[in-house]
Parts: sequence; C-alpha cells; structure tokens
Amino acid sequence: MASNKTGQKKKEKSKRRGASQWAVAWRRFKRNKAGIFGLIIVMAVFFVGIFGSFFAPYPARPDPHAYDPFYDIDPITGIGDVRKPPSWMDPEEPNSWKYLFGTTPIGTDVFSDIIHGTKYTVYVGVLVTVITMALSIAVGAIAGFYGRWVDNILMRISEVFLVFPSLLLILVFVRIFTVSVGEPFLNIPIINIQIPTGLTIVIVILGLFNWASNARMIRGEFLRVRELEFIEAERALGAGNIRIIFRHILPNLMSSIIVVSSLTIAYAILLEAAVSFLGFGDANTITWGQILQENFSEMRIVWWAEVFPGIAILLTVFGFNLLGDGLSDAMNPRLRD
Amino acid sequence: MFRYIVRRLLYMIPVFLGISIISFFVMYAAGDPLNIIRLGRPNITQETIDALKVYYGLDKPIPIQYLTWLTNLLQFNFGKSLYGGRPVNFLIGSWVWETVKLQLISILLAFAISIPIGINSAKKQYSKQDIAVTSISLFGVSMPTFWLGLILIIIFSFQLGWLPSAGAYGAPYLWWDNPVLDEIAHLILPVTVLVYVMLAQNIRLIRANMLEILRSDYILAARASGLSERKVVYKYALRNAIGPVITYLGISLGAIIAGAPMTEYVFNWPGLGRRYVDAAMRLDFPLVMGINMVITVMTLIATLIIDICYVYIDPRIRLR
Amino acid sequence: MAETLLNIEGLKTHFFTEAGIVKAVDGISFNLKKGESLGLVGESGSGKTVTALSVLRIVPKPGKITDGKIEFNDENLLKKTEKEMQKIRGSKIAIIFQDPSSSLNPVYTVGTQLRDVIMAHQTVSKTEARKKTIEILEVVGLPDAETRMREYPHQFSGGMKQRVAIARALACEPTLLFADEPTTNLDVTIQAQVLNLLNDLKKKLGMSLVMITHDMGIIAEMTTRIVVLYAGRVCEIAETHDLFERPRHPYTEALLAAVPRLDMRKTLRVIPGNIPNLIEPPSGCRFHPRCNYAKQTCKEDIPVLEEIESGHFVACHEWQNITLKGERSH
Repeated sequence: MASNKTGQKKKEKSKRRGASQWAVAWRRFKRNKAGIFGLIIVMAVFFVGIFGSFFAPYPARPDPHAYDPFYDIDPITGIGDVRKPPSWMDPEEPNSWKYLFGTTPIGTDVFSDIIHGTKYTVYVGVLVTVITMALSIAVGAIAGFYGRWVDNILMRISEVFLVFPSLLLILVFVRIFTVSVGEPFLNIPIINIQIPTGLTIVIVILGLFNWASNARMIRGEFLRVRELEFIEAERALGAGNIRIIFRHILPNLMSSIIVVSSLTIAYAILLEAAVSFLGFGDANTITWGQILQENFSEMRIVWWAEVFPGIAILLTVFGFNLLGDGLSDAMNPRLRD
Repeated sequence: MFRYIVRRLLYMIPVFLGISIISFFVMYAAGDPLNIIRLGRPNITQETIDALKVYYGLDKPIPIQYLTWLTNLLQFNFGKSLYGGRPVNFLIGSWVWETVKLQLISILLAFAISIPIGINSAKKQYSKQDIAVTSISLFGVSMPTFWLGLILIIIFSFQLGWLPSAGAYGAPYLWWDNPVLDEIAHLILPVTVLVYVMLAQNIRLIRANMLEILRSDYILAARASGLSERKVVYKYALRNAIGPVITYLGISLGAIIAGAPMTEYVFNWPGLGRRYVDAAMRLDFPLVMGINMVITVMTLIATLIIDICYVYIDPRIRLR
Repeated sequence: MAETLLNIEGLKTHFFTEAGIVKAVDGISFNLKKGESLGLVGESGSGKTVTALSVLRIVPKPGKITDGKIEFNDENLLKKTEKEMQKIRGSKIAIIFQDPSSSLNPVYTVGTQLRDVIMAHQTVSKTEARKKTIEILEVVGLPDAETRMREYPHQFSGGMKQRVAIARALACEPTLLFADEPTTNLDVTIQAQVLNLLNDLKKKLGMSLVMITHDMGIIAEMTTRIVVLYAGRVCEIAETHDLFERPRHPYTEALLAAVPRLDMRKTLRVIPGNIPNLIEPPSGCRFHPRCNYAKQTCKEDIPVLEEIESGHFVACHEWQNITLKGERSH
C-alpha cells in the first residue's frame, strides 16, 4: 500500500489509496496470462458485436440478400443443394471463403448469422447482468445491512429461488409474454436503434430469476464489511445508514461486484442460448441459440450449423469466465484457492 | 437424528409453499389465463375451457383459487391436460422414472469420477496436471450443456454410428441385441453430457476444499502419527473435504434438475423435462404446474437426503 | 552419562514462499539423552515448532529441510525413505500439538482416530486395537473411556481433548515425545493437570521429552535442560537451574525478565522490538538489533556456539564482558 503524507485531507487520502489499489490490481492482472486471454476474447466479442455488420459477408435477416448463398444453386438448371458444408472442406469450392462455416437449409450463411448474432449476445449478457446485479445488490445490501428479520425473510425468499429449478419457470414466463408480443422491434427515435421486443422480454425474465445466488454472496460480503472498524467509526460520527451503505460499504464491495458481474455475463449468455435453443426465444432475433434451434432438426446433414455457433458461445462464455477468474485473482487475493 | 429430520421437514414447508405460490401465479403472469390459453391455442373447445374454470374455480377470488388448487394438489389431483384431456398425475407418473434414472446415474457417476481427480489436483497444486485439470474444468463450465449433447450426437451417432441419438429405448430395433445393453447404449450419451457438466464444478470444489484441509492441523497430526499417505488423504482429509461439496450439491440440485429439459430435449428423452418443454410451449397450464410441483418435491426430497448424508459425514452438524 | 537419543547437527529448514526464502530454522544443533526432559524455548517464530516437524519430517509445503543431520538412535533420519519414516512417526517419535481442537479430526470418533494409529504400527486385530485404545484412554485419565471413545472431538472439553491427543501420541509407547505448547490453549487449572499427566507418563514409559514452549514457568517445572532459540538459531544451551540462575545470553536474560513473579516486586520487562524478518534476517548476531549490549562485532560476525562451562553453551560475542541477571538475582 502506498504510504501517504500526513496532513492531507482524509478524502484525498482515500481517493489516492483507491487509485493505487486499482493500479495494483491491474499490475497483478497483467501477469495473469489466462485473464489477459479472456480479456482479449471479451474485447473481440464486443468489437464484432458493435461493428460486425460492416464486415459480415452477407447482411442480416430479414434483408433478402441474407439468403444470397441460396442463389448459388444454378439458376438455369435449379440443380444444387442449399446446404453447403463449410467452403474450405467443400470440394466444389476449393480455397474459397464464400461460406466459411457452411450454409443453412434456408440458404443463409452460418458465418454471417454468427456475426450478426454477436450484438444480441452482448445485449443479452450486459442487460441481464445489469438487472441481476441491481436486484442482487439491493437485496443483498438490505439483508446484509439491516439483518434480523429482514435478512431472514429475504434469505428464505432467495432459498425458494435457489431450490426451485428456475429454468422451468423461465420457460413458461418467456412463453406467456412472448405469445402476446405485438411489434417485433421497438424503435428508439433519436439514436435510431431498434430494440428487439421479444429478446428484451426474455432478458428481463432471465434477470428477474437469477438474483438469488448473487444476492447471497453480496449479503455475505456486506456482513463482513459492516463489522469492520471504520464503519463503526463512521456510525459513531453520526453517518446515516444510506450514507454508510453508499459511501462506505458499496465502494468496498466494488471488486467483488465486478468479478461476479463478469461471471454473471457468462452465465446469462449460456442461459439465453438454452432458452432459444429450446424454442422459447424471439424468432425475430437470430441469436446464437436461435441458429442452433433453427437447424436442430436437420442436424444430421447440416452439422456445421450446430458446431460453429456453439463454438462461438463456448469461446465467449469461456472468455468472460477467464476474465472473471483473472479479475478475482487480481482484486481479491484473499479469495485465491 | 430423528429430530433433525423432522426439523428439516418442517423447514421445507415454507419453501414448498413459496414455490407453489410462484407456480400458481405463473398462470396470472400476463393477465387472464384464459386469454393466454386462447392465444397459445386458438381452436380450444368451450368444453375444455369450462373444465378449466371448474378445476381452478376461475370465477372465485384468486386466493380461494390458490387454496382450491393447493388442496387438489395435496390429494394428487393435478387436473387434466388441455391437450388430450388425460389426467396430469397419470401422465407425470409415466415420465418421472426416466428422468430420475438419468439424473441419479449421472450424479453418482459424477461424484465417483470427480473425487479422485479433484484430490490429485489438490495434492499436486500448480503441477502440470493440476493446471490442465483446472483449465479444462473452466472450459467445461463454459460449455452449453445441450451443445455438448449435439456434438456427441454428431460424432458418435451420425458420423460413427456407434450409439443411438435419441430416446431411452430402441423402438424399431434393439441396440446390441439385448434389452439391457440397449438401455445402456441409450444412456451413454446423455449421461456423459450430464456428468461432464457436474464434473467441472465438482472438481473445482473438491480441489479448493482439499487444498484448505490438507493444510489443517489434524492432517499434520495424522501424518505425525505415522498414518500412510493414502489413509491421510482418503480417510482423514476426504471426509472433511466432501462436506462442502455435498452442501453445494444440495444447493445446486435445482439447477441440475432444471438442466433436465435441455438434455432431454437434445436426446429426445422420454422424461419429465422433455414433456415440460412441450407443455410450456403449448401453455398447457395444468401440466406445466403439475410438473413444476413434482420436480419441486423431487428436489426437496433430494435435498433432505443430502442433508442426512451430510449429518452422517460431519457429526458436528447434529448439534447445530 | 546416558546415551544420546537424538542428535541434531546444523539443521536448516527453509520455506520457499513467493515473497522469498523464509529461513525458519537456520543451522540448529543440539542433542538429547535417553530419558531426558529438554526444553525448547523462544518467542513464536523462533523455529521451535519447525524443528520438531523437521525431526518427524512432516514440514508442510513450501518448507524443505535443506541441510543438516538428524540422528535418532544413531541413524540419520534424513536418509530414510518416506515408508521408513512412516514407521517411526507415532511409534518411536510422537508429537502433541498446541491446539487439541484443531489437531483432532472433527469427523471421526476419538476411538477411531486412536485405533488407526495403533493399527498403523502394530499388527493387531480390530478388537485388540480397541482394547488397547480403551487402555491408553484410561491411562491418560479419561473417565468412562469405553463409552467416550465412541464420541467425537467436539463433544469433549479442551482439557479432555488434549488428554485424547496425548493418548494418541503415546498409543504406541514412543521413545521420544515432542510436546508443542501442549497447555497454551487450556485453562490454568487444566494446565497443571495436563503437565502432571505428562510428567507421570514420561516416568512410567521411560521416554524422552522435548517440551516446546515460550512459558518459562512450565520450562522450569518440566525440564532438566534447556535450548534457547532465537530467529532460527541456538542462543544458549544449559541445565535448567544453571540457565535460570546464570543466563549467559542477553536474550535468555530478557526472556527470564519477562516472566511475571508473585514473590518479587519488579516491573515486568518487555523485550523491545519484534522477532526479525526471517527472509532477510539481521546480519551477524540475529539478536543484535534488540540487544542492550550489542557492539560493532555483533552486527558483523555470526557468533559461534561455544562451551563455556561443562554443559553450558552460549552463542554470544560479549558473554565474557557482561554480567546478566538470572532468576534469583532479581
């Protein structure tokens, strides 16, 4: 820990210590090869998610050009198969990049589908995590800070959510709400971004069902920090509960929250893929899970349309998990092993 | 011991009630359930609607409806499926065994495999083997369950033709010409998927616990008493390390069982999970809620069994 | 003079941590006669426990014995295979740890843990092992041994737990027993009982005892000879009464002065400073930063352990120039 000159104001002191704490964590993180590898994957996913449409070989559906590989069928004779294996292993297309991961029975390019799906993956991962963390921090903070019966009730409720196989409920809820969806996309006027309605519903439901284990973790951390001496000192100085929670306890939990968020993103992506794969996803948004679902029935032939989107999921989730583990090692050395 | 079990049972009542409330209000999640049912199935007959109204007492206030439903539930009257009109308890009864079989075999196998791997990994912390095991298990945690199933089917069923890709029994013909071998052949792939998923978590947990326990005083004392390394690790350390793993299993049973729909869907397994996906898709509320409650009860029973095992493994629990 | 049972020469046990090499034991030599009671004294971190663990060769990772010789019955223990060591541990050399609540396995009954030790060293049937377990539990004064052996450690009181730990250590009648602060975590009244028990058993079984402690009171009562350790090195070795009356090492003097006494009116002296960092220990004499008598040579040269009278060894450059206060002179 950096030594501080005496006489400085207390605020400055804590700020500087905060900065150096992050710097130390970053230095430690840089030495962790697995963590850096995870960070690279995560950054790549975000990059493809944001800029993917600029370099995808074919546009996203419902643009008719998305089905262009379909027209590789000889227009005159009509002979050919839409279901092309990955071009690099297709004897008809030696050394071609035309359809790197093959094409689907409806004539889309798997590679382009994956690239266009990336933005939904990012959307799902980030938004589910924001909802989950907001809920679990609220519940964890209230339970951990107020203790007694409040804690007891909240923890019993979280147990219900933990014991219950929540994926089952998620499926019905998603089904109920997506059945009655009207517009497939909501237009946000000024920035001109289209929000997929069905997918957003799925995301909200995933977030609402996932808070329990994170909330318990944050409650535990809250209990630990609450007992620390400086909190006692603040209380003795007359600081109010809200001030103690937001100014003193939460900043101390920041590192844990960041680590858990990274792991939650990974879990959220897996969960959405499962929901979509089971056929409960938003048919208007071609997420990676959706690609798997669409081609599942023809898997015997178009195995490539199952293998590559799955690898995309695996790599992304692996990246977030590595990042989370790396951050955990760097920021919470006491949690190691 | 008896008192402990009774206490655990009493403790489960609020959890059961909580879940039943959530399950019940699924129907009301988006307003009038009848409208939702009509949305899911436009050509539903008036007869079925009427039957539903009677079963749930849809004309009465909601708390009364819940109590009616709960009373029916406790008498094993789950209502009738909206499709085909067969009693739900009868349907569930014919599916539940397949799910239990699949899950039980997988959980036991996952434990049998993960214990020696986790221990070895902990004993040789930071060795090449340890690093390989920890990174592979992180990879395992990152893999979508169902996707692993797809890959296995593509390789072992479609490409190599060694194993069946779907179902629990060979309907058209028997694999390996024998009903028992046939059943095993059908189990191999789904069990592999489930074991692999649990394995990763288990190994990580056992490794972490073992690392802590191998540093404890009583292990040092056991070594100092001249006990063999095998006895020290597999008798004195293991029993202590296994406790938290079992606790974790108890907590995650819900999630494990929740994974059932995925595996069962991929392998077209004739179990509860597979049927649940269909029922949820059609918004067949009586069936959905019935399966929900059955799976809940299964989870609670399994949790109880695990709690009892834990008491047996760690005698200190009894006093708490 | 009786035969030498244990002879340690130049023992070095280092811990290879991420922060650096911790030289917990750095060249310790002393010996122990058959039937003797030896005290190993020093502050925490002086290397007392690590010495005992080194003799049993159960130094936990990342610790390693890097140099030296440990002769037990004229055989070098450091040359033994792991299998041979297993036979010696618990049957020839045993140890009692400081905290009985953490040194007994919480998930096995007391009987099981004792039986395992007996069966590891003696070829006996289960029923015979059970009988021996009951016998040894009765020897250490556990009332109602036959029923209590079926209980778990958490069902015992602290003193009873330590009796069980003693029973485990003595189950195979070892010739050498290390007692690592066996009473530190016990109530004062229980302390005396446990110490008396150890003394009785020592006489009964005719074994040698190495008493590891920082409590000079216990040392005075229990031992005939004392080895004073400081920061992984030996400062002084002498007969107990000799050491108490005429300490020759400033550190020994400081230790004695830190003992509270009822019969004398004196202020309790605290040894200034802390035990040094063992990754980069002080140069020369390791005690010099805290020593009142330190001269320039003390900072530069490592003092050698020399025999100044028959049986009295001291490692100090200045021993001839200083007069130190012993127990009586206060």
